[in-house]
Amino acid sequence: MSTLATNAITDASGGNTTTINGYTPTMSNMAGRNRIINGDMRIDQRNAGASYSQSTSTIYGLDRWSGDIDTGTGRWDVQQVSDAPVGFSNSLKVTITTQESQPTSARHQIFQSIEGYNISDLGFGTANASPITVSFWVKTSVTGIHSLNVSSGNYVYTTSYTVNSADTWEYKTITIPGATAGSWGNTNGVGLFLEFTIGGGTAEVVTANTWRADTTTKIVSGSVYLPATSGATWQITGVQLEAGSVATPFEHRQYGTELQLCQRYYTIFRCGTAYGRLLSVAVGNSSGLIRATVQLPVRMRAAASSVDYGGALYWYNGTASGAVSSVSIDVANDTVIGLNCSTTGASGNQYYMINDYAGNTAYIGINAEL
Amino acid sequence: MYRELRIIGFDGSEQLHIIRTNLNGNYTSFPADPDNTDYQEYLKWLDEGNTPEAADE
Repeated sequence: MSTLATNAITDASGGNTTTINGYTPTMSNMAGRNRIINGDMRIDQRNAGASYSQSTSTIYGLDRWSGDIDTGTGRWDVQQVSDAPVGFSNSLKVTITTQESQPTSARHQIFQSIEGYNISDLGFGTANASPITVSFWVKTSVTGIHSLNVSSGNYVYTTSYTVNSADTWEYKTITIPGATAGSWGNTNGVGLFLEFTIGGGTAEVVTANTWRADTTTKIVSGSVYLPATSGATWQITGVQLEAGSVATPFEHRQYGTELQLCQRYYTIFRCGTAYGRLLSVAVGNSSGLIRATVQLPVRMRAAASSVDYGGALYWYNGTASGAVSSVSIDVANDTVIGLNCSTTGASGNQYYMINDYAGNTAYIGINAEL
Repeated sequence: MYRELRIIGFDGSEQLHIIRTNLNGNYTSFPADPDNTDYQEYLKWLDEGNTPEAADE
């Protein structure tokens, strides 16, 4: 073994494109270069791998990934599955459950909203905007052109990728010029949407590969309308969005790190066992109302905006127990949340714990998504 | 489907919360806050002529 001590490594012409094992390290392609969270689809706090149905409302499924249907009658399910290309363990899978021939107007999409803080260095909306490169693995039963959009919500770039072989994992890279106009968030609100189109109507076609002022995402001419085929599938994993014009290898982060990144937006408390405890100490405030205080594991993006709950949620005071009929936000900030647990039977001036009654089904999810 | 929930908050004021039954049979609650996107969607649902289930107290 020998040791190299030097102050700089440059290429033969004096530039900064020296490669190491064929890879050119730059400021933007080392750790932290992937602006997508859970791009390898390992984290699924809400559904733990169970399938769920996409409705016309925006639904968050696998962590940081959501789906939406804007008009159109085609319907689909989403699930975290273990089918993935080499180097990955999971993918996000869409399966068409209600067939619909391509209509005039419809927009189906799977997307991730990237927080403004995480794209503020790109300079979008200025003359110094950096190009970005999106890379991912895709597998679908329907070959052909598939659309993809990058958007601020008011400034959109519509492009596409082509799937050549059915039911085969293919790696795609797309470089997009920096957006020199538009309004782009750079704090804890939405910075940028990355949207994979599942299907768009015939009236949604726009000129590809150019930025435009628009509030909705569109499709490229000739794009696949996945809902047209009953049972059609579309899978994706290894999604990376990075600064620059080069697609670098996917940035694999440790599971704990990735989970903490997800918990900035959503965190779930599950019992882990039948009769397991969810919230250790809660106080009876009045007849039928228990107030619980929860310290959040990660400082969240913002105060929670909603709470998910379900399963056999119960209270217990050492001698008696009863069902919790609803959970709502009393007060919240980005580190602590106070919850109202509405009940029957509980009374004031007593201590309670909130637990699973049986079957390990109870959970409470705290939501501060974009 | 939605239902309304009225609770006296820790500060003594009455809070209005909306409970949504999700497709998986579980629930999501959110405050009646004009800036809350879930609440905005609820208001749109009301504007379409829908009626929530009876309120809980």
